[in-house]
Amino acid sequence: MGTSDLDRQIEQLKRCEPLAEGEVKALCLKAMEILVEESNVQRVDAPVTICGDIHGQFYDMKELFKVGGDCPKTNYLFLGDFVDRGFYSVETFLLLLALKVRYPDRITLIRGNHESRQITQVYGFYDECLRKYGSVNVWRYCTEIFDYLSLSALIENKIFSVHGGLSPAISTLDQIRVIDRKQEVPHDGAMCDLLWSDPEDAVDGWGLSPRGAGYLFGGNIVTSFNHSNNIDYICRAHQLVMEGFKWMFNNKIVTVWSAPNYCYRCGNVAAILELDENLNKQFRVFEAAPHESRGVPAKRPAPDYFL
Amino acid sequence: MATAAAWDGPTAAELKAAGAEAIPGGVRLKGWVIQTNKGPILNSASVNLFEDKLQTTHLPEMVFGESFLSLQHAQTGIRLHFNALDALKAWKQEALPPVQVPAAAKWKFRSSPSDQVILDYDYTFTTPYCGSDALVLNQDTTQTSLDECSSLCWEDTDDQIDLVALSAKEPILLYDEVILYEDELADSGISFLTVRVRVMPTGWFLLQRFWLRVDDVLMRLRDTRLYCSFGSNEEVKPVVLREICWREATFAAMDAEGYPSDSAAYADPNLVARKLPVVTQKTQKLKVPS
Ligand SMILES: [Mn+2]
Repeated sequence: MGTSDLDRQIEQLKRCEPLAEGEVKALCLKAMEILVEESNVQRVDAPVTICGDIHGQFYDMKELFKVGGDCPKTNYLFLGDFVDRGFYSVETFLLLLALKVRYPDRITLIRGNHESRQITQVYGFYDECLRKYGSVNVWRYCTEIFDYLSLSALIENKIFSVHGGLSPAISTLDQIRVIDRKQEVPHDGAMCDLLWSDPEDAVDGWGLSPRGAGYLFGGNIVTSFNHSNNIDYICRAHQLVMEGFKWMFNNKIVTVWSAPNYCYRCGNVAAILELDENLNKQFRVFEAAPHESRGVPAKRPAPDYFL
Repeated sequence: MATAAAWDGPTAAELKAAGAEAIPGGVRLKGWVIQTNKGPILNSASVNLFEDKLQTTHLPEMVFGESFLSLQHAQTGIRLHFNALDALKAWKQEALPPVQVPAAAKWKFRSSPSDQVILDYDYTFTTPYCGSDALVLNQDTTQTSLDECSSLCWEDTDDQIDLVALSAKEPILLYDEVILYEDELADSGISFLTVRVRVMPTGWFLLQRFWLRVDDVLMRLRDTRLYCSFGSNEEVKPVVLREICWREATFAAMDAEGYPSDSAAYADPNLVARKLPVVTQKTQKLKVPS
């Protein structure tokens, strides 16, 4: 697969046209060669622009690139949850993957909890692949790539980035580095926690979710993690925030959310975090793509003789 | 309805024939003013406000705090209202014990940190809410939460909502669906509360639905239907019936009944509703103040 092929595929995906099944297979093979070399704590240089959940909202991701600049001119770090919920998980993930293969040093993709076989079968990506391709092969190729995605990133040794949060099984970055990540996201353990856990105001230490599974971590946990790993703050995604970003625990952790008008009905804005070469921060807030530009007319809900 | 993909609202002729008038966000007819409002989810400041009012630190991920459905009858002062704040007050009060997800069994054997706190609020936001009601004597009141007003009285009745009348394909003068709150249960299922309304020349009908699916554990459906059939004479007191129907089943029970046992098969509550056994059902009639 040559550069000109890739450039053509990127242009095609930017128009929100999916690739042929064979092209997806080849792209995934190529991506695998690149991702397998990455560390579980992938090093990222500044300047870099950090992006949170996208969830298949392709036209809103195009707004993101309008605000943040095109790859490779801008160096990007995406914190996972590319797929599910939105209408265009296939095009969204394939565009990011094609950019990764074309410009491996200018875009970093780490894994979110939705990059999983089990979750995508319930929340949309599986059905979308089946609908768009008539078979589940593309879903298979993509979910295999999910297993190769890195689990976290470390920007200039100062900012730790992860999809969900911390784990009681992890106190040092080296403990993340030794995880064997090439597997489906497990139901418990360190890898699961990194992709699933949430910061929580109501606890200082560790909290267990009322669901009986899933860790919550308080301010003390973040403070001691940041201190012992000599990092300034944690940047994570995973939770919807109306204003696009939210600091917690005295600026020790920030949530970045990049899906505006989430699920096409929440009315929230989205944000990306731009770090310059000196790690100065600037949040860029943006709104959803206008209805016209995504080919979905703004109509009243269709009347229905519901009973 | 297959032809409904592009609806532009009722025609002027349809409104006129019914003696109805389009007003901002709704319709006025037969002495009723029926309106919906749809806003975005709460911002951080409003989240704090809601948390204070509800005395909780946990709210659904998406609370559409400005959204509501309101039905007012000027002559009698009846005001029916559906909103997230009141629905969450009812959630707080019912305070069901949390539902454990399947992974919880494994987590019990995981070595837990010593300073662990187990949170135990009802994260499914299950609510017994079936609307707020009030007798509003000052019609200028625009408050969205009604706890300051005197409430109306509902009496059990053997009457039933007339489904045959409701099946007639009359013109629809107002149709809307309002989401009051929604939560993804941290990707362990779905929980939402919505209310749908349709207004026809002969009456209005609404369905408020609480729907919960905890993946691989249970499904819960709490439907509240309200129907008002307009009399021939506007002076006659309105008759409003309310049917409350709660259904619930575990995935294990569904499996035993021979239904699919995977969560993906239960995305649409409309298709699931009748497969779930009824837990509670009753019909009530609004006692109209004289
Ligand atoms: Mn997530």
